[in-house]
Amino acid sequence: MAKSEAKELFKEFKIQSVSEFFRRNAAMLGYTGKVRSFTTLIHEAVTNALDACEEAGILPYVKVEIEELGKEHYKLIVEDNGPGIPEKFISHVFGKMLAGTKAHRNIQSRGQQGIGISGAVMFAQMTSGKATRVITSTGGDEIIEAWVMIDVEKNEGKVVKKIKHPNPTGWRGTRIEMEVKDVRYIRSKQGPYWYLKLTAIANPHAHIELIEPDGKLIVFPRGSEEIPKPPEEMKPHPRGVITDDLFRMAKKTRRSTVKRFLVGEFSRISSQKVSEIVKYVAALRLINGVEEEQKKKQLYERLANGEVDIILKSFGKRGKQTLRQVEKIMEKEPSKLTWHEAEEIIEAFKYIKFLAPPTSGLRPIGEENIEKGLTNILNPEFVTSLTRSPKVYRGGIPFQVEVALAFGGSLSGFDILRYANRVPLLFDAGSCVTTSAVRSVDWKRYKVDNLEDAPMVVFVNVISVHVPYTSTGKQSIASEEEIYEEIRLALMEIGRRLKKYLSGKHRKLHQVKRRRTLEKYVDEVAEALSILTEKPKEEIKPYFLGLIEKKFEAPEVEAAEGEA
Amino acid sequence: MTIKREKPREKFGYDPQKVIKKLEGIGYQILEAVKQGKNPHIDVPMRGISNVYYDEATKTIQMGDKISRRYFLHVAHAKKFMQTVLIAAYIKRLVGEMKHASLREAYYANKHSVGGTKENTFEDQIESNAIIEDLERTLGVLREEMHITADRRGYIYGDITIKDGEDEFNTSKLGMGGWAVPGTVEHLKFTQINVDYALVVETAAMADRLIEEKFPKKENALIIATQGQASRGVRRLIHRLHYEEGLPIIVFTDGDPYGWYIYSTIKQGSINLAYLSDKLATPEAKFVGMTMDDIERYGLQRVTEKLKGIPPNKKGGPTGDYKRILEEMEYPWFKNREWQRQLKMAIKLGVRIEQQALAHKSLEFVAKKYLPEKIANEELLP
Repeated sequence: MAKSEAKELFKEFKIQSVSEFFRRNAAMLGYTGKVRSFTTLIHEAVTNALDACEEAGILPYVKVEIEELGKEHYKLIVEDNGPGIPEKFISHVFGKMLAGTKAHRNIQSRGQQGIGISGAVMFAQMTSGKATRVITSTGGDEIIEAWVMIDVEKNEGKVVKKIKHPNPTGWRGTRIEMEVKDVRYIRSKQGPYWYLKLTAIANPHAHIELIEPDGKLIVFPRGSEEIPKPPEEMKPHPRGVITDDLFRMAKKTRRSTVKRFLVGEFSRISSQKVSEIVKYVAALRLINGVEEEQKKKQLYERLANGEVDIILKSFGKRGKQTLRQVEKIMEKEPSKLTWHEAEEIIEAFKYIKFLAPPTSGLRPIGEENIEKGLTNILNPEFVTSLTRSPKVYRGGIPFQVEVALAFGGSLSGFDILRYANRVPLLFDAGSCVTTSAVRSVDWKRYKVDNLEDAPMVVFVNVISVHVPYTSTGKQSIASEEEIYEEIRLALMEIGRRLKKYLSGKHRKLHQVKRRRTLEKYVDEVAEALSILTEKPKEEIKPYFLGLIEKKFEAPEVEAAEGEA
Repeated sequence: MTIKREKPREKFGYDPQKVIKKLEGIGYQILEAVKQGKNPHIDVPMRGISNVYYDEATKTIQMGDKISRRYFLHVAHAKKFMQTVLIAAYIKRLVGEMKHASLREAYYANKHSVGGTKENTFEDQIESNAIIEDLERTLGVLREEMHITADRRGYIYGDITIKDGEDEFNTSKLGMGGWAVPGTVEHLKFTQINVDYALVVETAAMADRLIEEKFPKKENALIIATQGQASRGVRRLIHRLHYEEGLPIIVFTDGDPYGWYIYSTIKQGSINLAYLSDKLATPEAKFVGMTMDDIERYGLQRVTEKLKGIPPNKKGGPTGDYKRILEEMEYPWFKNREWQRQLKMAIKLGVRIEQQALAHKSLEFVAKKYLPEKIANEELLP
């Protein structure tokens, strides 16, 4: 009975391709809701464009155009001046999930898994049935025009039609046109307009244009000529990996032994550290074998105190044996590393002291650039930003926090601009660590009496090779304590700057007011003195004006110095 | 009759040119300061009780030397500075043109909006009044000498001839109402004085009574009715009559703390106008009544009034009249045996006695018996 049931069941069993999986789970890629789906499409295309330009050292010029074709039916065109895509990669870039130049590298990036643009192509295909039209050139003799579809079952991109055009002007770049349905364009805080605005702020080196469905052209002009350096690849820190990471890395590596693999592909692991790892793995094995709970607990504690050698000794001969067994693991081919062994190594990592991970791979936007971005796009009266030095969360994952604050000017209300690796986060603000950190600051201390009504924008960018998102939608950052604290510290610092500015401003306003108070009486006084002294009023007046001028000269210089 | 006119000790000293010079002095001093790039200021002697003292030598309340310096380059001072020079200029013109203006006229003449603003030079007459007082203190010049007059109050009746501008008249020939004392008496000239002394009377009713009973003629006295607290004009007149014309001054008020205070102000000056004591006070004035002794002496027990307030020995006391009397006992010029006895007696008896109470005896009593008797016998309080 059971057997036949299973048979029945397994009739329906099919191997599902990655594409198939994501087709069914579009939400995981950010395709939920009609507004958000649109933003996600634009996000994927724009992100690709910006990344490509950066890697090629080109100042990005990105044009987004949205045409309304019918009810909830649009054509989305995204064009960049990037390096272009070589012909043979077109189907890969747009058609294959989990393919790309970054997916397998430990690198800070806007996207992460390389399913972005192919996901977009699939979304277009799913909703409109249309292929995505790609026009690209690397600046050579020809321009490729290709229509790309995804073969869902095979997880493969298919170029269904391809035309080659001459390229007499030497145009270089990529233009994507996709037809999508079941999406809606609105100018909300979660829509494409807002997304691009935030992108422009965090990427002042990019010139971004948007043509809305009604034909309105919005330009977010370039505010900086400096192209950010592409991020460096970073070897993972032992504290920042889980068993699965280690296991998979071991499968893929070309290193000949586990030892060489550990030394070569992780940061902060030397040959010496490997010997230490061996000792700890051995000790852990031995301790695990102890039956008495009380004793076991004691041994773990001692291990945590670094008494690994003493523990090994206490097991005598068995200790030496175990040590030799573990040593052998290190000489194995990495591909032969078992899950259990990987688990043991990860467990040992927890007891061993490592140097903090390198942070060379983190690429902050930089204080100057953030300020340029905010000034350029929001036109505030006051702006300040702070890039903190890199820190580590969960013991081994480097991250860095950048915050900025814009105040007054064209700003009308309060907003938090959230970013992860420069990518604007538009959704799930409530559960995001940036929101809770911003809210936790007592802004009254910094002369912002009513936060909700303050003409103020707070900018927070969390940078990491591994941003701890709360969900697959990657729209909110988890409340890791270290990240939370870093954001708070940074905010308090710029809060102090704001306070200083506001105090100075009040002082200055006060000065102006005082000066006016004095000036307005000059006429009356001069007139009266003219009667008393019988000297012409015109002769008396300049003396008084000069006196006031002199009085307010000095304090103004002082105020200006204070600001600098 | 022992009370007789004495030899004059002061000469009529009003000189408009001096006032103008003093006002110009402020202007030049300020102009000189700004020319040198200095923050100009006006020094105004401080007002209020903290800056007055009783001068034993002159027996008057005098102003101390505490000064508040009013700077132009000071936001809190600037407006007052402007107001001060504004009024100074106005007064210079006024005196120069030989015109007089009332306090209210001076206020309206100088009230206008400050160029280019909605702000007024003066928002309230209180402000301009204060500035005029400041100028009096700063320059040591009477408001009246600056041709700023107050409302007239008080009148005189008696055989003296006054020259007031083009008019010359004898104040006993103007009818029973006498001659009303103007706000400013600086310009008056006394061409003939045929009286032996001046009797200063608190209430108009009593002054009228005395005139009707022909007291001035019979006693060769000048009646000066203050009508309550003596106005500056009346006080200045009393001062001038005493010092310039040698008339002894005898004060006749109700026998109560208010009456005694009126006497005190005529005699020693007041805290508010301490800076003018040299021109307003008459420390040699004497007090004829009413006194507490009069009650017994003239059998007035049944026409006394109770003092208001709680006596010092009762719970919650002293308040009201009692408190006033105790304060007056502390005045240096009341620190003599006679006055202390009077004041103590008032508290002890808990009564006050009005001038009009003498009518209890008869309408003529005050003019025919009470005053002539007391004055002739010099039964006067210091």
